Amino acid sequence: MQAAQLFDLVEVNSTDPIEFSHWAGKWINSNPETTGIARLEISEAHGEFFLEAHAIGPDGLIPWGRTPIKTLAANPTSRKGAGFTCSYDFGFVSVRLQAMIVKGLIVLGQFHTFKDDSGRASFFVREYFAIEHGRY
Amino acid sequence: MTNVAFKQRSHLEPALTDPAIRILNIEGLLGRWRNTNARTNGISEIHIARENAGFTVRIVGVGPDGPVDWPVAEGVVLANLEEEAGQKAVAIAANFDLGFMTAETHLRVNKGVLVIVLVVTFRDDSGRSDYINREFYYKAAEVE
Repeated sequence: MQAAQLFDLVEVNSTDPIEFSHWAGKWINSNPETTGIARLEISEAHGEFFLEAHAIGPDGLIPWGRTPIKTLAANPTSRKGAGFTCSYDFGFVSVRLQAMIVKGLIVLGQFHTFKDDSGRASFFVREYFAIEHGRY
Repeated sequence: MTNVAFKQRSHLEPALTDPAIRILNIEGLLGRWRNTNARTNGISEIHIARENAGFTVRIVGVGPDGPVDWPVAEGVVLANLEEEAGQKAVAIAANFDLGFMTAETHLRVNKGVLVIVLVVTFRDDSGRSDYINREFYYKAAEVE
C-alpha cells in the first residue's frame, strides 16, 4: 500500500460504501443575508447521492440543477459520511463545492472560477448550513 | 457591473473586477508553515512561495521512514469577498497528483493560523475511503 503520509497507511477491514443516507434532506444557509447559495438539497437515488443548490439572485432564488456528489469520510478507514465534493459548470463560471460536516452543520467551501472575459477574479466563500429537520 | 452572466448575486459584486482583490494580503500566506500538532501523522509542513508570476505549494508528509515530499503544485489564488477575523485576505487552492492518490487542498489564514482543508481521493484498489480533513499550521522560520 502506498501512502504520502502515515495517516493513510491503514488496514482496511471493510469494503462497504460510505454511509451517507442520513445527510439527505434540505439544508438552509445560516446567514439570511447571503448573496450566494441559500439552500442545498441532498438526495439519494440507487445508491448515488446528488446535490441541488439554490442561490440568491436579484429577483429570487436561482435553481442550479442537480449534480452528483462524491461522498467523503473523515479518514481512510471510516465508512461514515463526513463531507462531500461536487462541481457545477455554467460555461461562464465553474463552481467547486467542498463540504465538511461539523457538529451537524455543513461547512461549505465554494470556489468560483470565471471563464468569461468579464475580468472578474476567482473567489471563495465559506458558509454554514443547517438541516431543516421539521421538529419543534 | 452590468451585462455579465451570473448564477448568484455575488457574481455581480463590483469588487470582483478590482485588481487589488486578487492579491489582497497574499504576503500573509507565503512562507513555511508547520503543523501545530507536533505528533501529526499527516502533513508536517507546507511551503507557499511566489514563483515567477504565480505561486507554488509544497507539502511534506510524515512517512514511515521520514519526511515524504509531495510533488510541488501550482497555487491558484482565490479572492475573498468577506472579512474573516477582521481581515480580508486571499486563499490558495492547490491540487496534488501522486498517482495512487490525488489531494485537493484549500489554504487560508485565519487569525494568524494557516488552515488547510484536504480532500484525498485514492485511485488504487486499496479499499481506503476518500476523505476530507482539516489541519492547522503556524508560521515557522524558513530554515531552522
